[in-house]
Amino acid sequence: MNLGRRDLVKLGGLTLAGTALSPSVLWAQTPKRGGALTLRTWDPPHWDHMETGGASYKIHIPMTFTHSRLLKHKAGPGVVPGTFPIEGDLAESWTQPNDTTYVFKLRKGVRWHAKPPVNGRELTADDVVYTVDRFLKVKGNANAYMLDSVTKVEPVDRYTVKFTLKEPFAWFLDMIANPMALAIIAKEVVEKHGDLKKPEAVIGTGPYMLDSYRPNTGITLVRNPNYFLPGLPYIDRVEMVVDEDNASRMAAFLSGKYDLGWEFPGTINRTDWVQIKDSLKQKRPNLKTAEFPANVMSHISMRTDQKPYSDARVRQAISLAIDRQAIIDQPLEGVGVFNPPVPAGLKEWSIPMNQLGEGARYYKAAPAEAKRLLAAAGYPSGFQAPICFTTYGSTLLVDVSQMVLKNLKDVGIDARLDQKEYGAYISTCFNGKFDAMAFGPQTPYLDPDNFLYGQYHAGQLKNQSHINDPVVEDMLVRQRRTFDVAKRREILFEIQKHLAKQQYYVQMPSSVYVAVWEGAVKNYGPNLGYDYGGRLLHAWLDR
Amino acid sequence: MLRRYVAKRLLVAIPSLLIASMIVFTLPRLIPGDVVQLMLEEKAYAKDIEELRAKLGLNRPIYVQYFEWLGHVTTGNLGESLWTRRPVLEELGRRLPVTLTLGVCAIAFAILIAVPVGVISAARQDTLKDYTARSAAVLGLSVPGFWLATLVIVLPAIWWGWRPATGFTEFSQSPLYYLTQFLLPGVILGVASSAAIMRLTRGMLLEVLRQDYVRTAWAKGLAERVIVLKHSLKNAVIPVVTVLGIQIAQIIGGTVIIEQIFGFPGMGRFLFDAIVQRDYPVIQGVNLIVVSVIVIVNLTVDALYATLDPRIRL
Repeated sequence: MNLGRRDLVKLGGLTLAGTALSPSVLWAQTPKRGGALTLRTWDPPHWDHMETGGASYKIHIPMTFTHSRLLKHKAGPGVVPGTFPIEGDLAESWTQPNDTTYVFKLRKGVRWHAKPPVNGRELTADDVVYTVDRFLKVKGNANAYMLDSVTKVEPVDRYTVKFTLKEPFAWFLDMIANPMALAIIAKEVVEKHGDLKKPEAVIGTGPYMLDSYRPNTGITLVRNPNYFLPGLPYIDRVEMVVDEDNASRMAAFLSGKYDLGWEFPGTINRTDWVQIKDSLKQKRPNLKTAEFPANVMSHISMRTDQKPYSDARVRQAISLAIDRQAIIDQPLEGVGVFNPPVPAGLKEWSIPMNQLGEGARYYKAAPAEAKRLLAAAGYPSGFQAPICFTTYGSTLLVDVSQMVLKNLKDVGIDARLDQKEYGAYISTCFNGKFDAMAFGPQTPYLDPDNFLYGQYHAGQLKNQSHINDPVVEDMLVRQRRTFDVAKRREILFEIQKHLAKQQYYVQMPSSVYVAVWEGAVKNYGPNLGYDYGGRLLHAWLDR
Repeated sequence: MLRRYVAKRLLVAIPSLLIASMIVFTLPRLIPGDVVQLMLEEKAYAKDIEELRAKLGLNRPIYVQYFEWLGHVTTGNLGESLWTRRPVLEELGRRLPVTLTLGVCAIAFAILIAVPVGVISAARQDTLKDYTARSAAVLGLSVPGFWLATLVIVLPAIWWGWRPATGFTEFSQSPLYYLTQFLLPGVILGVASSAAIMRLTRGMLLEVLRQDYVRTAWAKGLAERVIVLKHSLKNAVIPVVTVLGIQIAQIIGGTVIIEQIFGFPGMGRFLFDAIVQRDYPVIQGVNLIVVSVIVIVNLTVDALYATLDPRIRL
């Protein structure tokens, strides 16, 4: 198969460049035990994954190595990036007796890490019940909303747990499998330490154990010899290096220090990649790469409860003003994807642009049509508008924001950036507290419900555009109650078609990630999300 | 006489520290977006925010929080990090030596390079050596430390696939490596100070070399080395010592970036993270320590000044 990069990106799936090995070839090789893998990480502010939100990924990423969940996302070269098939982790099997009840059968013989106070005791249903209870009740858990639907969790017997929900919630299993949610913990550990903030409290049932944590410097994980899947993991040690400077990270990668790309999730930013790919060909000829669309999506939000944004024609004009292709061509280095309301990165749920119907036209730059719509809405000379903004420390975001300003100015909207410091932005504009417009990226969720329900349902904190649209709300609730995947997808596509016409948010294109990993890392497949541990569980080193 | 002078300066330092404590306590709280909102990020609802604020003790009047904190400080307790719940003093105890070692390396480099070059430059005024030294000094002043650090790290990686060691090795792991790992960042951190000190040394020495007593020394036929090093340098370095105090403050500020680039778990990086996270007790603790260090350095400089020039004590 000989496809160019753009062709591969258009396909939207996993694309292997460099030495293209098919997954079957990889699986056919005999795994080797041993070795150490090095990757870049972010310094966790502490280790309690239930007591932080803003920096949760910094804790959740190492915890995907040390802790298990009831369910997890399948990983490996056979999984198409942007898809998240679910499989059991601690749960051997699960049933759904009715729309609001889930029963999980736990694996027998799962042992906690051999560390005090649990000292390798067996995991039971009580541990799961305790974890859910703490997850929902502990103060300061910014991710508690993920299990909002749960009213009761109870042990049926030593190895069976029953969840009862308030109402049908078709995404429940996805929430349980999400690495941001339910890493199972032991009650004794919380009781001993008061919370889970100390590194001594990092005790799970995962494939790796925390060997050492050096603040601001790094984390060393060692293989858990008692992991419940016999023979796994293959790699003996994982070194996670805290490296806060991009130049330092780039130099480290060039000199062969890191086995995975240094940016989240094991990628290299396109701008850096363009600069160093030729050097890498010489210095690290065995590198493997894969490209897939990011689920990080920026958008313009507007006060749709106020003039002029309450008029759909104004919102459509703003969308028509944006030259998305130019954004792809310039700041995104020529490689990117258009996003409907669900980012194209979520392959199973994002409607293809050519199926958007009537609303598709608002994603193509048409300044003349934008001016016509503005005039029809009573703004022939445009209007002035502040755009609340923070840089997130990203030069790319700054570049895109400048293009947005220029595009808006070209149709008569005199927009100016109201730039805020990150903390100020999060506490105001991110929650819809702004006067006219705001611009910035959204949390990169792994499911469409989090992208849509929070942003488009009245009363939700993430409803930045202050939307109150009964049509959307009805569909949002219906998709949550629809367990048939194909039918749910149909509803989600309908929602996106409706939203494309309404343009409550004006979506920007996303970059296409360049996932990079050392060729010696076998049986590894990149994907979106925090689950580094899951993706490396079956990987082995052939150095 | 010197003792009384130092005592007087110490008394002046107390209100300085008190005012500084008020500033370091108040300023972080004036930045929009507090620690609770950052902890909960976009997923928080009003009830969660208030509950967490109460849990962290941030719902009380600011003056109550200030006096409580000040009371604890006087007993040597700088409080706990709002994020990690670890004692700030314990964290500082671990990080302060890293920053101090880095700072000492930078100052040592600055002095070791700047003073001899400044002396040569002054003694050989308007020669090729002087021009070269002055050009290098201008370059040193112009090049930002973070840029220099970036080049030093990235270029060898691009050219040779080699990167200077970053990350951090504890003293207990390898004492020798512990010390050597500070050399490169210390040099980079000291470049700007070195340039400033060199220029000042040269300027002051030139002034002293034009004094009558120096002319007399020349007339007496003393060797150049004796005139410059013995009779002139001591008088020339008095302002240099003062500037050194200011440079130390700048170097402490510079550690924030250099520690970030070289991955050192020092105080600068601790402060940087704390500001981003609005971890008030950490910001207060680090700043109070920094202010104290600067006050002590200035006190030492004043004492040195008085030693070098006894007229100051009068």
